Amino acid sequence: MSDERETRLLMISPKSMLTPDQLVRTIHAMNKDVRIKETCYGGLLEGTKDVVGEVLEEVRKKYRNEIFSKRRAYPAGDPRRCRAQHGTRPGYSQLEAEWDLLSNVQYGLECADRNEEIVPLTKKGKLSIIEFKNICEE
Amino acid sequence: MKVFIDPPNSLILFDIVERFGHEPLSAMAAIQERIDNLEIDMPPMNVTLDVVVTGLKYAGVEVPSGIRGRLALWGPMIEEADAAIIMREAPYSFGCVGCERSNEMIKYLINKRGIPQLNVVYPGTEEEAKDFVLNAKKFLEGLGK
Repeated sequence: MSDERETRLLMISPKSMLTPDQLVRTIHAMNKDVRIKETCYGGLLEGTKDVVGEVLEEVRKKYRNEIFSKRRAYPAGDPRRCRAQHGTRPGYSQLEAEWDLLSNVQYGLECADRNEEIVPLTKKGKLSIIEFKNICEE
Repeated sequence: MKVFIDPPNSLILFDIVERFGHEPLSAMAAIQERIDNLEIDMPPMNVTLDVVVTGLKYAGVEVPSGIRGRLALWGPMIEEADAAIIMREAPYSFGCVGCERSNEMIKYLINKRGIPQLNVVYPGTEEEAKDFVLNAKKFLEGLGK
């Protein structure tokens, strides 16, 4: 067993009906040796690498395309980052930007589950002068 | 396999790589190593002398220090990577490296290494997201174990 700390950030897709509270209760009910902190976007999961991996696997089984996760460098509740202690949160705007995209990615993952074919995207062409002129005049 | 993600702190790319069975190489792992082992308060803003020397390996001394500092973190990960996923056409503020020169250097280092790489579109719409996920799945499943 690896003793290395691993902190995971769990984010719920905006398309999901799951709430952070439900997610935290589900993880508590697993009775694993991890700490879970409820946040506005989902939760922070912390424990040893192996146990966190097991919990993540179970969470992904239960809420397949609704929960997204990445590692977090700082421990949960670290005074340098925690809002409760006026820590700076430099990664928060990036999380917010990605949260906006999660419903699209969830749709993409559902398409992947259905084994849909790749359809090449139509390339965005340049705006014609006439069209540009019309926009300016409107 | 170890897959480098660009932007290195992206939740979406990290999750997709892990979901399809590979190990993502991200900024978070590099920063955690510095917090846990070196006890640096605010990496990458606080650096050690070794970090400065590592940065010089990837960019010359005439290059701005910010770029060298960033490359000291991402450079070793690119060297370690077996493949890379790069998100193109993302808005300027997307990702942790708000410096176009650093981003170009990252792409240059990936190209120089000649590892398999996938350029995906920014999933701004459902159709783009579908294209992004399906291409990433095909690429990651094709990498083997």
